[in-house]
Amino acid sequence: MTARLGLGALGVAMAAYGVWLLVTRESDLVDVATWLVGGAVLHDGVLVPVVLLLGLVCSRWLPWAARGPAAVGLVVLGSVTLLAVPVLGRFGAREDNPTLLDRDYTSGWLVLAGLVAVGVVAATLVRMRRVGRGSNTRSG
Amino acid sequence: MRVPAPEDFTSRLHGPALAARVGPALGVCFAICFLTGLLSHYAQEPSQPIPFPTSPAWGYRLTQGLHVVTGTAAVPLLLVKLWTVYPRLLDRPGRLDVRHLLVTALERLSILVLVASAVFLLATGLANSAQWYPWSFSFRTSHYAVAWVAVGSLVLHVGVKLAVVREELRRPLEREERPSVLSRRGLLRSTWLAAGVAALATAGQSVPWLRDVSVLGVRSGGGPQDLPVNKSAAAARVTPAATAPGWALTVTHGDRSVRLTREELLALEQRTEELPIACVEGWSASGTWTGVRVRDLLDRVGAPRGSDVVVRSLQESGPFRTTVLQGGFADDDRTLVALALGGEPLALDHGYPARLIAPNRPGVLQTKWLDRLEVQA
Repeated sequence: MTARLGLGALGVAMAAYGVWLLVTRESDLVDVATWLVGGAVLHDGVLVPVVLLLGLVCSRWLPWAARGPAAVGLVVLGSVTLLAVPVLGRFGAREDNPTLLDRDYTSGWLVLAGLVAVGVVAATLVRMRRVGRGSNTRSG
Repeated sequence: MRVPAPEDFTSRLHGPALAARVGPALGVCFAICFLTGLLSHYAQEPSQPIPFPTSPAWGYRLTQGLHVVTGTAAVPLLLVKLWTVYPRLLDRPGRLDVRHLLVTALERLSILVLVASAVFLLATGLANSAQWYPWSFSFRTSHYAVAWVAVGSLVLHVGVKLAVVREELRRPLEREERPSVLSRRGLLRSTWLAAGVAALATAGQSVPWLRDVSVLGVRSGGGPQDLPVNKSAAAARVTPAATAPGWALTVTHGDRSVRLTREELLALEQRTEELPIACVEGWSASGTWTGVRVRDLLDRVGAPRGSDVVVRSLQESGPFRTTVLQGGFADDDRTLVALALGGEPLALDHGYPARLIAPNRPGVLQTKWLDRLEVQA
């Protein structure tokens, strides 16, 4: 209990120091607040509901053998795509600096998406064969 | 249509069993990011009560590469962690007495602060590493301050949840014969896989042997003289001053001063050092630099050992136009006024006619287009 109280007090002190830093050193607090609230709202109000909906649709329409692999594919490709938004959009590219954002990110992403798709299809086929064999032995 | 309640989420992928497993991994990532971030901010402080070490030369490169790779790998971890606890967002207070409501409100406020600050750190960090600034606040100030808020609320969260985590980790995850979508083990493995793919797909900007697989890395590692550029001469608006025929480096100490043209610098004893450029944005690359040892130049104006040196660039503006080279770095034998890179005269974008290069330092302090070295009294 003492350890937990200590952690709690330390945490509150550190967070308070951060708020103090922000208030005393940052001049554009409205913009910081917008980004803080905006991130949480976009995650909780848009991203998760979309994934929940996607999950609902997939669990109705996809055959059982494909559901698990598709979910793994979504976790991998979805999160990596999200974190690659700044490079995929090349928003920071500058004409005077060709060494920045100097890859073909669309092709790179397509290769990654292709690999994930191959993995999902292969895992689905393996699961279908395994299920098929399972039911054969049961009927035999 | 009504607002869903926690009981409506029937999937076994929500709940403390997975939260207690993904949470600690995410906590470790945030701890690494926080410590390496503090280190970087300290390295950029002009006055350092505890001198920042000059060795190992690759120390800053390693810690800042780790900062960005860990932060990137934390994205899937955070998304899955929040997924496992998402139904709690719709919790309604169990009882309607004031004390219970107050405690519930405080706990939920701390969670809101933790989620908002964690998402803020990852989003702004990723954008910054790609030099994208779609906001008007100072990235450096806000990312640093919000990091204290995030890690503070994380420490508080660990304090609150420690018992739950211990309890959950004591129970192994059971095998599920035919899960409707994914088993708990399945989601856990997918999470580790996603974090690994995220790291591999981006780490090439600081780990040279990963360049070919890092299809989403901000930099491929190429550039003039095989080294990427953070700020070009055109962006710094130094081209006329840097290519002017009358350029000379001024070194001053009190009333003593020397002016050395590029030819005069080239006539001095030349040293060659293999040193990395490691940027605060996370990319890094190694170069072979040739030039004059800074200590040799300081000896010419009789500067005592341990003196801090103010380094001025030809740049007319920018936060790092004037920087401080602390005594420890100024006296290190590997610290050079570099005139050549990879055996060729320095490219304009790499700081021609002369740049500073020192071991174990943030890239922003490796001043390009040198104008003056002023020894502090």
